[in-house]
Amino acid sequence: MEKITSPYKWGMVIDLDRCTGCGACVVACQAENNVAICEKKEIAEGRNMHWLRIERFWVGEYPDIRVRFLPVLCQHCHDAPCEPVCPVYASYHNPDGLNGQVYNRCVGTRYCGNNCPYAVRVFNFHDHEHAWPSPLENQLSPDITVRSRGVMEKCSFCIQRIRRVKEDAKAEGRMIKDGEVQPACVQTCPTEAMVFGNIADPRSRVSRLSRSPRRFRLLENLGTHPSIYYLKGGGREHV
Amino acid sequence: MSEPEHALAAKSAVQLNDEMLSSMRTPTWRWYGLAFFLGAVVAWGISAFTYQMMTDLSVTGLDRPVMWGIYIANFVFWVGLSHSGTMVSAILRLSQANWRRPILRAAEAMTVFSITVAGLFPVIHLGRNWVVYYFMPYPNQRGLWPNFRSPLLWDATAITTYIIGSSLFLYLGMLPDLAVVRDRASGWRKKIYAILAMGWRGTAREWVVFRKASTLMAALIIPVAVSVHSIVAWDFSVTVVPGWHSTIFPPYFVIGAITSGVAAVITLMIIIRRVFHLEEYLTPLHFDNMGKLLLVICLLWAYAYFVEVQTTWYAHEPIEWEVWSFMAGKYTPFLILMLISNAVLPIFALCFKKIRRSVKAMLVITVLINIAMFIERYLIIVPSLSHKNMPFIWGSYSPSWVELSVTAAAFCGFTLMYVLFAKFFPMVAVTDVRELGVRHSDIRLGRTEVHTISEEE
Amino acid sequence: MDRRTFLQLSGITAAGAFLAGCKSANEKLIPYLIPPDEGVTPGRADYYASSCRFCPAGCGILARVSEGRAKKIEGNPLHPVNRGKLCARGQAILQELYHPDRVTQPLKRTGERGSGKFTKISWAEGLDLLTSNLKALKQEGSPGSLALLTPELRGTLAELTTRFMHSFGSPLHLSYELLSPGWLRLADLRSFGQVTLPFYDVAETRYLLSFGADIVESHLSPVQYGYAFGKMRQARDTVRGHFTYVGGRMSLTAASADRWMPARPGSEGVLALGMARLILAESLYDKASLATNGLHADELLRGLRLYDLPRVAEETGLSQTAITEVAREFALTRPALAMAGESVAFQSNGPDAIRAVQMLNVLAGNLNRPGGVFPDAGSPDGPTNSFDELISLVKKMRGNQMRMAMIYGDPVHSIPPATGFQEALAKVPYVVSFSSLLDDTALMADLVLPDHAALESWGDVIPMAGTREGVIGLMQPVVMPVFDTRQFPEVLMTAASELGGEMKAAFPYPSYLEMLRASVRKHVAVSGSADFEAAWVDLLRKGGIFKTVTGQIKDYKWSGGAKIPEPAKPHFTGNEKEFPLHLSVYPSTAFFDGRGAPLPWLQQLPDPMTTAVWGSWVEINPKTAAELGINFGDLVEVTSPQGSLRVPAVIYPGIRPDMVAIPLGQGHRDMGRYAKGRGANPLQLLAISGEESAAQPAWNATRVRVTRISEKGELVTAGHPQGSYRSDLIEI
Repeated sequence: MEKITSPYKWGMVIDLDRCTGCGACVVACQAENNVAICEKKEIAEGRNMHWLRIERFWVGEYPDIRVRFLPVLCQHCHDAPCEPVCPVYASYHNPDGLNGQVYNRCVGTRYCGNNCPYAVRVFNFHDHEHAWPSPLENQLSPDITVRSRGVMEKCSFCIQRIRRVKEDAKAEGRMIKDGEVQPACVQTCPTEAMVFGNIADPRSRVSRLSRSPRRFRLLENLGTHPSIYYLKGGGREHV
Repeated sequence: MSEPEHALAAKSAVQLNDEMLSSMRTPTWRWYGLAFFLGAVVAWGISAFTYQMMTDLSVTGLDRPVMWGIYIANFVFWVGLSHSGTMVSAILRLSQANWRRPILRAAEAMTVFSITVAGLFPVIHLGRNWVVYYFMPYPNQRGLWPNFRSPLLWDATAITTYIIGSSLFLYLGMLPDLAVVRDRASGWRKKIYAILAMGWRGTAREWVVFRKASTLMAALIIPVAVSVHSIVAWDFSVTVVPGWHSTIFPPYFVIGAITSGVAAVITLMIIIRRVFHLEEYLTPLHFDNMGKLLLVICLLWAYAYFVEVQTTWYAHEPIEWEVWSFMAGKYTPFLILMLISNAVLPIFALCFKKIRRSVKAMLVITVLINIAMFIERYLIIVPSLSHKNMPFIWGSYSPSWVELSVTAAAFCGFTLMYVLFAKFFPMVAVTDVRELGVRHSDIRLGRTEVHTISEEE
Repeated sequence: MDRRTFLQLSGITAAGAFLAGCKSANEKLIPYLIPPDEGVTPGRADYYASSCRFCPAGCGILARVSEGRAKKIEGNPLHPVNRGKLCARGQAILQELYHPDRVTQPLKRTGERGSGKFTKISWAEGLDLLTSNLKALKQEGSPGSLALLTPELRGTLAELTTRFMHSFGSPLHLSYELLSPGWLRLADLRSFGQVTLPFYDVAETRYLLSFGADIVESHLSPVQYGYAFGKMRQARDTVRGHFTYVGGRMSLTAASADRWMPARPGSEGVLALGMARLILAESLYDKASLATNGLHADELLRGLRLYDLPRVAEETGLSQTAITEVAREFALTRPALAMAGESVAFQSNGPDAIRAVQMLNVLAGNLNRPGGVFPDAGSPDGPTNSFDELISLVKKMRGNQMRMAMIYGDPVHSIPPATGFQEALAKVPYVVSFSSLLDDTALMADLVLPDHAALESWGDVIPMAGTREGVIGLMQPVVMPVFDTRQFPEVLMTAASELGGEMKAAFPYPSYLEMLRASVRKHVAVSGSADFEAAWVDLLRKGGIFKTVTGQIKDYKWSGGAKIPEPAKPHFTGNEKEFPLHLSVYPSTAFFDGRGAPLPWLQQLPDPMTTAVWGSWVEINPKTAAELGINFGDLVEVTSPQGSLRVPAVIYPGIRPDMVAIPLGQGHRDMGRYAKGRGANPLQLLAISGEESAAQPAWNATRVRVTRISEKGELVTAGHPQGSYRSDLIEI
């Protein structure tokens, strides 16, 4: 069988020196992707549905105390631990290098959620059918499903945006331009800490930034080969 | 002087059969009471599960990051327990240990029932149970196929194989006994037993085939059993979860399963012996030998556990050591109970013949072992997930009433299956026990009387 | 307006081809000639430009609308303030539009004031009630007993309210906001002789020194400064801008600093002067700058002689080494930039402390230079009022001199009760609110005439700060109104028309939209109305006028002379023995001053520093908490001389041991299901001491004590409390 290849390999760079932890990306992602509204009790139970979280670490002790922010989203690993363990192929790797989640195939074993070392997969423990009291449901995007209960979900690099742009580019007979497609989080980030693009194109902005000496990837020792490069912050050059 | 054979020799065939088939007499009110109580708990568990299925999984205690909880602990525990029959029946059959005979049936039945209970849990814990058939490789117009790289599919395959295999093993071994029951039964019962006995007449040829088949099944079921629990172990060890990612898991789990199974068989033996008055058939000698087996297994288990902890400590991989410390700190009483019940107590106590031969002592030890094994499953699953690689989302888990209800229903369901089985099927392996009687003779060699048992080639 | 016409008009104004690069050809220009029903393609969205008014920054937005429903808000790439970026609050305004508890039509009070019992009435009846009450005042000859309370308005809306009140005959239009930068305008007046706000060129600076100015969350223009901050750090090849933050509490902004200096509250001005002295003494100042501003180093040094290092270290609680290092870094890194913010301004010695920081800029020679500070565009500012004027109105209300109050906004929640405002308002016989949710003010009202949501409204949104060119952002409806609401200015105009005479004459426009167009027309150089129509559509597509012709902006020049602005010793309400801790009240990232609380996305957004969700909390230093026996999540009582409240405690290493902090924004009595009865409003703890200056009260000068109540704080955080200290495990 022919292997399906793609000229695109989507990747992201998150510059931790620029990230201020403001949280705009979190709300943008929620708005774009029909992520359920979770109230206090649900979050207390450990069942927040945010696809993107900003981890905040305290380092040191007062008064030599520092804060480190780390936006964590699906790393779209090239060797994703979540993919081999799904018994029904609901978690799969697409030719663009994205880790995809097929909601209507998911049986809900949650094995992928356990095996994701970054814990970016969130599960619909609650039935979120009524998470949007009328007329809030008017805000729901028609480009993306509203997930049922018992189904795993996670960041998709706003695949609906990528698909749209691909369609338009194809219709015009051209490649996607650098910066033409931006996931919601990247688009809204005030400090431009997040950059997205085609890592297979060495001239794209994301490619250039991913070659920075400050680069590192999360939990690199696990060999997951994430598609997200972080740039070390705080003025520290060496990782 | 071995007691059972002489006891057998002293009684008539009918009397022997009567005694061994005593469990199948008309049920007393006590039996009804027990069955009713167990049935009630099972019904409660089923309704709790139905509630879960009608609502959503938020009725459990599961969250992120602990996405597997007591349901999976149950799953692993019951799979472990299913090694009882295989070990006792198959291994002892192949090693021709005669003292296996009275307990064969009970052990094999335990295997079938526990693997059945185990097989329910992967369906119970699903987010969308109603599409569980996606696991099956059936032809469909969407061109979809399940993912055989996933340990869960290996689980499905292995457990299916094991259920079928152990059921066959049980049924096969029961054939001659079913014939005995058929011969003693009347009315509609006779008809049913006749069908089940498959026309067994006890001819020489049938015995020859039966011997061959039983031996073959015994030989085949052992690798299945080992692979089943290794596969269940791989559910954990092929992941990147700290505390799970360890190559010792498959042998460790198999050993744990054997420990659990053997202890459960001993417990079962004690119960059956008491309930069905089989004191002459299940003698202190049996417990002595089972105790020795248990001692060996517990030593192995202790070694495996030590290896696991020692490699974690020595490598001191930060997150792995973090997981271990967390577990030891948060679940200290459970950890201590587990280590004492599974290692310290059995290893020390079972060295003494007196203890091995004491039914009361063995009951205490074996029940403690199984409690400890359940704890051990829980302590493998929950602490590792609570403290995964990313410290910001560390969490916690405690089972909800729904999960506990289903757990209780599993235990009671298992027991209920046993209770029903004992009523309708020969609980003691009549044929095997009688066989011993047939084979045994005391031969005079010169001035000594030698106790002999003949074996077929 | 019917749907067809709406879509027709709005179709024209879809942002279309003006979007650069980042968009697909998703958005379509719908030509005038194609009927809208056929021109709208299901599944393809349109983008409309508008403006955000969720904080005074006034960023430009694009609303993605699909089949007549607003789906997503983005930043408008063309808008000079935010350039396509948008903050968390801006992203959430969709939920204001579709909030399930919006006031759907006018309400008349039926129960006791504050009981929340209203009955729904028609607009006809509501307007009738409004105008009849207004008429009554006029007829009695006491138009001056009408008060209008609004936030600080700008542009056409400011013009309208001014005209309304003027033609009605009442001088009592109070434009007041708790977080108004009036103090900064006043500082500019005293230091540079002009009423302006500063524009800090953060993007080009190499050393940013912030004295409590939280530019990432709330100060002046957060998105603009966020963008600039990113550039300051990593947009230049070999230069990484350095950032030092001075303040007792590590705010979100401070968390990104390279150095945090936890100075004692009220000592920031002394620190600035100490640094100034050192810079002058070591001749590190910019000589040209001093000359240009008419200052002499030796004269300044004499004035600063009391601010020697030991004294400054003692007063601020900082080490001499740190102070020296920062002073030298600031002086030697060019360009450097110093700024001062709310937490400094709201001390009793705030005004002088701000000016001390401004003086540092003079010494650094960064006035009117890239990487330094410029006067902001001087966009038309609307009316503003001082704290004194607020108190004066409160007195009148208390003295039964006010007969009617019309309130736009939620001052009942955002004005500290220590002013007596809430009690005084209760005495006003007739109160009208224009809130679109039942906020604390609407609960006190007799009549609620609900305003449109921002996404349903027309208007001009003039950024308060954040750009060196004049900007007039335009706001247009992106969807049909969801409920039977009307825009606040529209209601005033209707009332004016009803009242007739001078009032009617003051508004020769058929609608607010026409008044807006007339206003915009003034700024657009066109001849003839046909040209204007095209220009108007063009402006709506772009999102506003992005470079207005304004008067010459005068460069900054120090006008304060050689007199050193010396901050007095800070004064706090509450004695140290009974109230040992300083209370800092700050606008939260999610809720700002409270307007974000009704929106579930913002409640669900973990606070960046504490990761707390859906509630209020008090931040306590670990050592202090240990001394008080307080654990993470315990319920504690915070008591000030003014009052007390109970919130859960968060162990917060980034705050001085003698300080605690509570975020603003929660503690609404209603405002919808998501905000109702949630958390606490810390403004009730703030006290006013007797020695206020007219410009601003010392809101951050209250002392409190904290006592543990129980372990039932019911605090929920997104981050694991212990895990938050283990960054070593992931090697970041």
